[in-house]
Amino acid sequence: MEEKDINEQESLLLIQQMINTAKHEQKDDGRGWILWGWLLFLVSLLTYINLYTRWFSTYYFWSYFGFLSLLLLLYSVVKYYLFKRKERAKTYTGELFQKLNVGFFITIMFIIFSMNTGLQPMKGFPLLIGLYGFWILIYGTALDFKPSIIAAYITWGLGFAAFFVNSFASTMIFHGLAALVGYIIPGHIAYVEFKKLNR
Amino acid sequence: MFKDLDPILHSQLRLAVMSLLIGLKEAEFTYIKEKTNATAGNLSVQIQKLKEAGYIDVMKQFKDNYPQTTCKITPLGVKAFEDYVKNLQSYLSVKK
Repeated sequence: MEEKDINEQESLLLIQQMINTAKHEQKDDGRGWILWGWLLFLVSLLTYINLYTRWFSTYYFWSYFGFLSLLLLLYSVVKYYLFKRKERAKTYTGELFQKLNVGFFITIMFIIFSMNTGLQPMKGFPLLIGLYGFWILIYGTALDFKPSIIAAYITWGLGFAAFFVNSFASTMIFHGLAALVGYIIPGHIAYVEFKKLNR
Repeated sequence: MFKDLDPILHSQLRLAVMSLLIGLKEAEFTYIKEKTNATAGNLSVQIQKLKEAGYIDVMKQFKDNYPQTTCKITPLGVKAFEDYVKNLQSYLSVKK
């Protein structure tokens, strides 16, 4: 590109092209959602099976999930500060997501703490599902990604329904479904779309 | 009556830089160069013109002993860009 005069139509076309280029920086490849979603789904499924087989204590798999999540969080923090991988372009949505993720994880910690200090897990897990829905809606809206926006409302529906079940096994079914609908499916769709965009 | 199109923005590379920066919080020189397919020398000149007009801020620092230039659009630049687009649309709607 050079410094040259352009006519009005060329100007408008150029503006559109550059704005689309900037928009690509805001696209998410969905891999984080896929990983998080599959972990949640797997732990829900293993817990459900464990409730009938009684291999381990009830929250055995959730304890390991919590430990793994803390390790992943630590790894992300260390990777960010130690290797200082600086993005060449910063977006407003990128900043928003950083803050959103911090808030999300802190709130999850609050709910988990509550479940360990008196709140019944059968009430705590629907709260977690409700929080997932919130995160999914904000992400979907900021990225203008319809599958996530739809998924958020379905996730909230599942979370609300989970309040009325009468067994922890059923809570795990709803939680697993919420992970599937809210993270796994939109994550895979986002991944496919991201790949197409970057071909 | 039509307003004249801002001569600072009515230039291919400068308009490309501003259009890119309007959608981003900030961007490095190397990123802008890659996305606009400009040469380093020409891009430096155009960025300097935009900086002198007050449309962008340019921050220079050293990272691992390498110079790093980061550009960010200013509120004045956002206003100038919005006015430019509005005037552009007026021209185009009359031409139709």
